[in-house]
Amino acid sequence: MSGREPISGARSGRRAFVGRLAVSGAGCAFAGARALDAEPLQDPFAAGSPLRVEEGGLNPSPARWFKALADGWVECGVCPRACRISEDERGTCGTRENRKGRLYTLVHSRPCSLAIDPVEKKPFFHLLPGTTALSLATAGCNLACKCCQNWEIAQARPEQVPSMTLTPADVAMLAKKKGAPLVACTYTEPVVFSEYVLDIAVAGKAVGVRTVMISNGYIQEQPLADLCREIAAYKVDLKGFDEAFFKQHTGGELKHVLETLRRLRRHGTWTEIVALVIPTQNDSEAEARALSRFVRDEVGPETPLHFTRFHPSYRLQNLPSTPIATLERCRNVAMAEGLRFVYLGNVPGHPGESTYCPGCGKVLIRRFGMAVAENRMKDGACPDCRRRIPGVWA
Amino acid sequence: MSVDVGRRRTLAGLAAGAAAASPLGRAALAFVPGPQPGPKSAPSRPVVAIGRREGLSTPNGVIDPKRLEAALGAAVARAAGEPTAVAAMRRLFRPTDVVGIKVNCLGGRGVSTRPEVALQLAAFLQAAGLPAERIYVWDRSDRELRAVGYSLNAGAGVRVFGTNEAYDERLVDWGPSASRFDRVLAHDLTALVSCAVLKDHGLAGASLSLKNWYGAVHNPNKLHDDNCTPYVPHLVAFPLIRDKLRLSVVDGSLAQCHGGPGRAPHWAWPFGGFLASTDPVAADAVGRQVLEERRKEVGLPPLAAEGREPGHIAGAARLGLGVADLARIERVEV
Repeated sequence: MSGREPISGARSGRRAFVGRLAVSGAGCAFAGARALDAEPLQDPFAAGSPLRVEEGGLNPSPARWFKALADGWVECGVCPRACRISEDERGTCGTRENRKGRLYTLVHSRPCSLAIDPVEKKPFFHLLPGTTALSLATAGCNLACKCCQNWEIAQARPEQVPSMTLTPADVAMLAKKKGAPLVACTYTEPVVFSEYVLDIAVAGKAVGVRTVMISNGYIQEQPLADLCREIAAYKVDLKGFDEAFFKQHTGGELKHVLETLRRLRRHGTWTEIVALVIPTQNDSEAEARALSRFVRDEVGPETPLHFTRFHPSYRLQNLPSTPIATLERCRNVAMAEGLRFVYLGNVPGHPGESTYCPGCGKVLIRRFGMAVAENRMKDGACPDCRRRIPGVWA
Repeated sequence: MSVDVGRRRTLAGLAAGAAAASPLGRAALAFVPGPQPGPKSAPSRPVVAIGRREGLSTPNGVIDPKRLEAALGAAVARAAGEPTAVAAMRRLFRPTDVVGIKVNCLGGRGVSTRPEVALQLAAFLQAAGLPAERIYVWDRSDRELRAVGYSLNAGAGVRVFGTNEAYDERLVDWGPSASRFDRVLAHDLTALVSCAVLKDHGLAGASLSLKNWYGAVHNPNKLHDDNCTPYVPHLVAFPLIRDKLRLSVVDGSLAQCHGGPGRAPHWAWPFGGFLASTDPVAADAVGRQVLEERRKEVGLPPLAAEGREPGHIAGAARLGLGVADLARIERVEV
């Protein structure tokens, strides 16, 4: 691509783009800039544009969390990898580059994927059920999970995927226009575009749109603290509960994710946890029990925990989908350990998708797949026994 | 861009190409005897030839073309056990090959493969009978190549170009990771030359001919954990590279013993020559030795003492890619 061509599509302008967004239906709008018939909202090459998108579609913007080291090196401070990066090099995520001894994020305001999704798809089950979230991602991830669902964008560098230009204010405005009360930073790994998340959250607050993160939880203390001041909720993908498995499967260290969960509790940020259960890899009863005890004791017994069904993808094409009986066993173990809200994911129609009152046992929110079929919650409580149900309900 | 190899060499190259292309020529090539062992050679000892010349480059970095040809030519010739560089190229490559010379331009000027070096290798290949159009000099991006002084060329003559994200659509799992390989490497090239730089690397310890292949996949950023040790050997062992790799050259016209992979001028020194070997592991083992010698001279600790043992070299030997044991390598100055 030459340096001064539009990133995708013809330049019919911001209004037309927003107009097309507005007519696309919720839940089926679009995902993946590759498939989008969309233009940049702002022409990044226009005179006076605040964005200076380079050849290859990069938008270098000063990183917020890093340390300058000797000899022009920097140490990235966004995730526990703490990549030491020499000049002109990037960290593991491929999105943060050392330029003359300063660290820059290359993906600020450059989403590669954008869609309107039900909040249940994230999944958040205790956060504004039945609403939608404007969901977006930039390229890159700080882990390398063998089962990555979105590896085409998550395991790529930003210049390898088509992206559009969307400032934080644009994101907030789009969500508002679409009637989505949430912006979800998701699909890839929002930790690697934390600066963008933070700016979206601030811009969203100004127009009454809340921002949430769907993340692997692989983040350092300071950026997490900064984000927690602005975002409404954080979903952590807990990819296993065995350090050796975690390292082998993701390239990261489990202890850092567990620390993030503890910190989220201290920050008081609404948190839900997803545990992807992969047959023969992390599906033992002992692991489900250990994980459940950790959540109960260190995050809280009322924290929603979703056991999600694995389907073959990326580098794990050789394994079958998770048997539903395995997921049910995990759920039973977690409930026996005292967790109050344990769900099954990727099993449409299963009773384990619904929310039950821990007080009287009645169904509070009945779900089918990503749809809410019935919501009996009243003012954040069970309508029958008045037991308070934790979550963000309004 | 065309490479002016001179009338005489062009004629010699044409003649050689014609000879090799003829059935008789091909038959003769099949019976070319192996190189005569040197006085210190043994059949099991790979040779790493080091060609150095006083005044190879001026203090302001201008390379003397005659000294370049002499130093690089001597190293390449000795690496292949032939009397001349052209004979070496004729021995290592067929006139029908499409040869890719993979350079390393990531660090910018002063710490990248010099264009003159890559083009001199291309000139040797042409003189050995390869048409210029079947010689590619390439790296990750046009931008990085241009920054180092390469003139891009997509037309007649030796092609010089960047991958520019043109990676093959297929995701290939090669063990410790999975990558998309450069499309040209996957589909066009039949033979490879690694033309790397003699330099230190802050994570891998050293970035020499083996690590150069990180520039042939779409996700090098994912391959730096654990000093790159599990990744480099398995990547080079992948058949797309291993089966095509014929020659490894390390450009030490200006080398850097610390502060890499980016440029750190105060740690650079004019090594004034080139390493060449048909064994990529041996080339890197000797390259590492040269770096360690320089580090000692300037008072730096060994790489291992800084937690930067370049374990990928021994790892590559364990995968059978070559010899890392210096006692089993013939390091020869030519």
